Amino acid sequence: MGQVNNILARLSALDRRIIFLLVAVAVIVPLLIPIGLPVDITKPVKNIYDKVESLPEGSVVVVSIDYDPGSEAELYPATEAFLEHCFRKNLRIFMLALWPAGTPLGNMALENIGAHYNKKYGVDYINVGYKPGGPVMLLSLGKNVGDMVKTDYAGVPIDSLPLGKEVKSARDMALVMSLSAGDPGVLHWIIYFHARFGIPVCAATTAIMAPQQYPYLASGQLVGLMGGLKGAAEYETLVKRRGRALAGMDSQSIVHALLVLFIILGNVILVYQRSKR
Amino acid sequence: MKSILPIIVVFGFGFFMLVSFFIPLKGIQDTSQTFQNWYIGVMAFFIFIGIFNIIKINLEKIQRRLRDWQYSIILLICLLVMMAAGFIGGPEGGLFLYFYKNVQIPLGATMFSLLAFFVASAAFRAFRARSPEATLLLIAAVLVMIGRVPIGYWIWHGFPNLVEWIMTVPNTAAKRGILFGIDLGMISMGLRVLLGIERSYMGGGKE
Repeated sequence: MGQVNNILARLSALDRRIIFLLVAVAVIVPLLIPIGLPVDITKPVKNIYDKVESLPEGSVVVVSIDYDPGSEAELYPATEAFLEHCFRKNLRIFMLALWPAGTPLGNMALENIGAHYNKKYGVDYINVGYKPGGPVMLLSLGKNVGDMVKTDYAGVPIDSLPLGKEVKSARDMALVMSLSAGDPGVLHWIIYFHARFGIPVCAATTAIMAPQQYPYLASGQLVGLMGGLKGAAEYETLVKRRGRALAGMDSQSIVHALLVLFIILGNVILVYQRSKR
Repeated sequence: MKSILPIIVVFGFGFFMLVSFFIPLKGIQDTSQTFQNWYIGVMAFFIFIGIFNIIKINLEKIQRRLRDWQYSIILLICLLVMMAAGFIGGPEGGLFLYFYKNVQIPLGATMFSLLAFFVASAAFRAFRARSPEATLLLIAAVLVMIGRVPIGYWIWHGFPNLVEWIMTVPNTAAKRGILFGIDLGMISMGLRVLLGIERSYMGGGKE
């Protein structure tokens, strides 16, 4: 009993650097030696997949890059997995960004995946870059794209691009995918774009934002949801793509297990300290 | 006059935008569209204000040798270098993209990754079941944390369904309550601003 007391007393004063070291090991080791834990598919992610599958060839999908490099680790794999599915289905991509630093990330994904499927800029996809104005911009975009978009991200007149000429208003859009890390983001697309123009909206959000989207999923205002890296891993599984999200799942699993262990240990120490008093 | 004019402008434009939502007449919709375009122009201008503000604040910090003033020098140098790279080569410019891919993305990822370490430390020290409510929260958090990752599915195939139920039923119910509260608050605040009862947006100046 005295030995247990001694261990718990030592643990209660555990140096946080040891905790940091354990987390680092829990992240790095599964990346170097993958375990290959099975990934289950949740309904909100399957809903996005089914929605994309149901769209006719050539439909225009709006992909909104509503994140920046701070959330790249979590949302970029979802961007690539979603684009891969769209290009495989021969859907066309109209990309924009509600965050200023999002445009180059979107471009990187379009170029990587587009090149793999021999897609042509201006015909199969365009990127109109960062658009300021949040909700008001979305309302105007839905009414008349030309009011909001004169050129693409590189300054090329939108009317000189075949896809740019074709997308005039929300009526020409079949689906919106918001890859969102905060505000402005998916909530604006739901509240201002879906509510006003009826275009279905789906989203990929950071894990911390995912619980906030469930009321919109339940009401049908959000078609589907990829929550965090796990959501992206599920989508990669569905589209049979071995990407960064699936590679990161083992690490995330071990770190989550470690966190739970820390919580249990912290509470055992709490009970021990209380019993001592 | 200093406070009356802004109230008139806010009431006039606010009321018009509110009414235009319900009246689909072309003239009203076109005017509403023009106002919205103005708003976007103003929003775009805020970026310039933000840049000038960050330069001004950091220059002052350097001049007055305030705490950690050296970081302000680094911030201003990075700001100017990125702006120059963007202006010279455009958003597709090699130098701009080089810095973006090799500096901004890794730095952003590093900041984000630090969260894992701090959350782990907090999990050990702060996530304590000190009351029945905290215990309930803790149990839900542990279930969601395990059930949300593949190891949960590996332990028990029913874990993801249990987590989905937590998210869909108790979480959604609580979130809906919070959202209704926020929305009612926003409506009431909007009315207060429109009717000139709430004037804090005008600052603390006197007549």
